[in-house]
Amino acid sequence: MKKIGLAILIVLTGIQFIKPARNENGQASPSDISTTISIPSNVQLILQTACYDCHSNHTNYPWYANIQPMGWLLGNHIKDGKAELNFNEFGSYSERRQQSKLKSIASQVKDDEMPLASYSLLHKNARLTKEQKALIIDWAQNAKDNLEQIKP
Amino acid sequence: MIAVAAISLSACNNNDNQSKETTATSGDTTKTGMQSPTAETTSNNPVNDMVAPYLQLKNALANDNSKDAAAAGTEVQKAIEKADPASFSADQKKIFADVKDDAIEHAEHIAANANNIEHQREHFETLSKDLYDMVKVFGTSQTLYQTHCPMYNNNKGANWLSETKDIKNPYLGTKMSTCGEVKEELK
Repeated sequence: MKKIGLAILIVLTGIQFIKPARNENGQASPSDISTTISIPSNVQLILQTACYDCHSNHTNYPWYANIQPMGWLLGNHIKDGKAELNFNEFGSYSERRQQSKLKSIASQVKDDEMPLASYSLLHKNARLTKEQKALIIDWAQNAKDNLEQIKP
Repeated sequence: MIAVAAISLSACNNNDNQSKETTATSGDTTKTGMQSPTAETTSNNPVNDMVAPYLQLKNALANDNSKDAAAAGTEVQKAIEKADPASFSADQKKIFADVKDDAIEHAEHIAANANNIEHQREHFETLSKDLYDMVKVFGTSQTLYQTHCPMYNNNKGANWLSETKDIKNPYLGTKMSTCGEVKEELK
């Protein structure tokens, strides 16, 4: 019994040294969403606090990111999140994909699929009020409609 | 009215064809004025390979079968990934470049959501638009019907492509199977 406990301890200590690469890039991106879509500052603020940790090139890491395997789990979330939607690279998407993304933003927030429940559980800031949700949904839908109209 | 809107949308993706399409359809927008350029309707049209699994997907959704829909989604994705733009005309390359990433993503999400048919339908709506725009430029060897459901998404409405004039609504499923009407014939 003691041996098993010791083995677990050794493994837990060992994995602390295997850290995923950090998602931190302070530079402003030339294809940031703000270069193609207009975002009111109150919406921008919500996006940054509730979405950017997983959907941009810069994560504000919580303390537990330094503890494995939490850090790995987080790293995977960020990787998946950025593959789905990266606000810093939004401008590089085809116009069609931009529209799809805006549609998905609205529907995911409306359906309470995003922000992820497991994320907002640990991040109070990411828990959106009804009003905040409405702001995001309205903005995303309007931005999508505008994109459709801009087409010549 | 909707047919006209759809025409102008597809023309926007395809500026070179805009004047041609407008003149072709100005006389009659309701019937089959929208002939695809015959020169581009070759036997190895990659859009045929995408439309076949798309129709399976459409029918699975109409039957409320999200498992079959997911499987068909995978096939749509494969067909799009397989298409090789090397032999495409300039117009075809342009629309394909615009559609590709978007359509693949919708197909992926449909494939990954075998337990969530409403989410599959959301992606199916945009995928339908992607494929419609592709068919407009590439043509189709099989006659297709652009069909409209006015009720989906809180009466915002949505379109789909069908191989038959008989309405089997993929958005509302078996509950409201016959809701919808054919807006345009594509061949």
